Amino acid sequence: MLRLDGVVKKFGDKRAVDAVSLVVPAGQLVGIIGRSGAGKSTLLRMINRLNDPSEGSIRYGDIDITALRGRALREWRARCAMIFQQFNLAGRLDVLTNVMMGRAFHAPLARSLFNIWTDDEKALGLSALEGLEMARLAGQRADTLSGGQQQRVAIARALVQEPELILADEPIASLDPRNTQVVMDALQHINRHLGITVICNLHSLDIARNYCDRLVGLANGRVVFDGVPSQLTDRVARDLYGLESDDVVGPDARPDYTPAEARPGLALAGS
Amino acid sequence: MTSPIVQLPQAQLRPLLAAYEATVRSRRWHSVMIAACVVAAIALSSISAEVAPMRLFENIGRFTSYIVRLFYLESGAPVWTDPAEWYWGLPRWLRLLGETLLMAYVGTLLGAAGAFGLCFLAAANVAPSRWLRIAVRRFCELCRTVPGLVFALIFVIAFGLGPMAGVLAVAIHTLGALGKLFAEVVENIDMKPVEGISSTGAAWHVAMRFGALPQTMSNFVSYALLRFEINVRESAVLGFVGAGGIGQDLIEAIRKFYYSDVSAILVLILLTVAVIDMLTARVRHRLIGLGENHR
Amino acid sequence: MTGRPKIDLAAVRSRHPHHFGRMDRAQITAAAVAAAALALLIYGMGELGFFGGTFLAGLRRLGEILGLMLPPDPGNWAHVRIFVMALLETVAIALLGTLSAAVLAVPLALLAARNVTTARLVRFLSRRSLDTIRSVDILVWALIWINVVGLGPFAGALAIMTSDIGSFGKLFSEAIEAADRRPVEGIVSTGGGRILGVRFGILPEVFPVLASQILYYFESNTRSATIIGIVGAGGIGLHLAEAIRTLELPQVSFIILLILAAVAAIDFVSSQLRFAMIGPRAGTAT
Repeated sequence: MLRLDGVVKKFGDKRAVDAVSLVVPAGQLVGIIGRSGAGKSTLLRMINRLNDPSEGSIRYGDIDITALRGRALREWRARCAMIFQQFNLAGRLDVLTNVMMGRAFHAPLARSLFNIWTDDEKALGLSALEGLEMARLAGQRADTLSGGQQQRVAIARALVQEPELILADEPIASLDPRNTQVVMDALQHINRHLGITVICNLHSLDIARNYCDRLVGLANGRVVFDGVPSQLTDRVARDLYGLESDDVVGPDARPDYTPAEARPGLALAGS
Repeated sequence: MTSPIVQLPQAQLRPLLAAYEATVRSRRWHSVMIAACVVAAIALSSISAEVAPMRLFENIGRFTSYIVRLFYLESGAPVWTDPAEWYWGLPRWLRLLGETLLMAYVGTLLGAAGAFGLCFLAAANVAPSRWLRIAVRRFCELCRTVPGLVFALIFVIAFGLGPMAGVLAVAIHTLGALGKLFAEVVENIDMKPVEGISSTGAAWHVAMRFGALPQTMSNFVSYALLRFEINVRESAVLGFVGAGGIGQDLIEAIRKFYYSDVSAILVLILLTVAVIDMLTARVRHRLIGLGENHR
Repeated sequence: MTGRPKIDLAAVRSRHPHHFGRMDRAQITAAAVAAAALALLIYGMGELGFFGGTFLAGLRRLGEILGLMLPPDPGNWAHVRIFVMALLETVAIALLGTLSAAVLAVPLALLAARNVTTARLVRFLSRRSLDTIRSVDILVWALIWINVVGLGPFAGALAIMTSDIGSFGKLFSEAIEAADRRPVEGIVSTGGGRILGVRFGILPEVFPVLASQILYYFESNTRSATIIGIVGAGGIGLHLAEAIRTLELPQVSFIILLILAAVAAIDFVSSQLRFAMIGPRAGTAT
């Protein structure tokens, strides 16, 4: 169980995340929704400790995540895998090597530095890739792949970590509709069948409603909604995305959300 | 001939001209001030550096005659009439030239290896510790600013006369120069792969090896090759202070006025440097091409 | 781990045999190149005497020397005065050498630039001679000039000038070639001659570039000027070499600190100047 208590992240004077308290029981698929700049990414990055919180505490079971350092911190990161909007693969390395990075915590340092992996580790990586229909591309350089393929490689990297928790930071924001579905289906499968808790930042409300067990809405760094998708009325959604204010039409504000009455049938929602 | 431009009346013309002159004048005033500063600096420097134009003019003949004499043998014949006599010491010089190249090679490689180890500690975006980063930066600065020849002088005392002192001088100077350049390369990488690897719990070394290194390797090699070119030139004069290589024969020839030997050794060095430059330029272009293709 | 599926290693292996091989071709090539480089390194180190006892003994002696260098100490105030004057002389040598080289290099650069000189032979010859001048080390030029004007800083300034003519000539000609040719066409189209085109079309445009290169070289020449004293061409190098030879080690470290401070100061000033010159211009250009 992941528990956040009054977590704050300040960048200079700006409070990107402002007193967020949240409890995520094991096995949930949680969608975090909100506009760009609402603090979703920062929140996820603090859980993986890519960013350190300015105040508050994050606990997992009886581990105090905020106090971890050195090897203990790396062990926590190995248990909580992260998936990024821009995939964050090493483009010049081949797919399998990228996936093997997920084993780097467990493998001895000297061996992994020389890019030597045991047959068991390679088999694990290839099996993860097979599950995502990527195994035949295992020898290709990651930067020759399409966005959807790269994100699948990133998911395979997360899977070989054998994590208890997967944090997905806008995993579909850079993808086309077909790949969006593939990636979201994969995350749902991981959650349902492997029992891994998934926390997923989404700016597309439709996707969030369709895939998640629970939605958490962030605005200006604060939690403004927390409940099951059916509780999320259009009114709440409009508040969340601030559609009535003028400033949403920025280049990166592009909320995929369209009011319910204007929404066509959910083409992507097959699962 | 009639002009297509209708001349403005004086009353209108005068303020326009005045405004133009005023802007020009302020710009010119600026330039004059700068020029005055430069002239003052030159004057002061001339006094300090004991500049004596008269002496230069009186003796300029010596310069040309020196250059001309470089190309005449002791017997008075031009060097190209008797190449065997000109290059009488070729076997010895070639051996020394080989030693020079070896010094440059070993020095460059050792220095580059050191710089490689330090650059990740010195790059602001990936350095594990701020204090370590500042310390490494200062160290590189020290190694870079103190001329190689000064290191050579000190190392000659510690290691004795010979190429070992020269190699170490080259290595330490290379460490400083490449340490800075490599760190700048690392500071310009895309951080996303590093972050992706760190997020899996991988150690810092692994994140550097797989996240940063693939992006920087071709630049590292390219800079190291460029440095090798510079180090070949540098190694050729380290012999001036007894630190090995062909420089020791060159300075002896210059000091003892063996004119044709001076030109013979200089031509050898120039040819070697030209060949090395050409080879490394070719390799570097291929490397850059590779980098572009894969991007 | 709750849901880890059992992996049948043999099955995965049979489906993807190529990922379980030892090494592929590219890896073998890379390993071979690395091994060759390493072998040459070890051979070279052996040849240069690294594996005898001298290296370790030398390291021990170097440690002692470094220990004796600390703390830096000029000895007395008279020394401080001498060193500071010599340092100023070094800076003066660098300044004069750089400026005179810049002035002399401009006509040569014009001769070597493709968009100014159309005669191929002239261009080729001027390039080759610039290359040759550049390739001869500054210490050699210093020794030659000492023959002409005698020992002292004047020879040093002339040496820096000669060696920089080569570098500046090459850099300037590249800067001129990179210059936009439209202004020149504009001037030539009004009936102005080639010379006017160069004067008003090219020079104003390349001047800031040249000035910043000159400043950069001034910096690096200050470093070079510290060593030409070793062969007797003036500046702080003379005192530094002397202090090293007589093993006045605290003085050595004091002089090195002085040099570091001077180079840092020049670095600072010239980067300010460069910014003042290029910064606003670049700002208005866009």
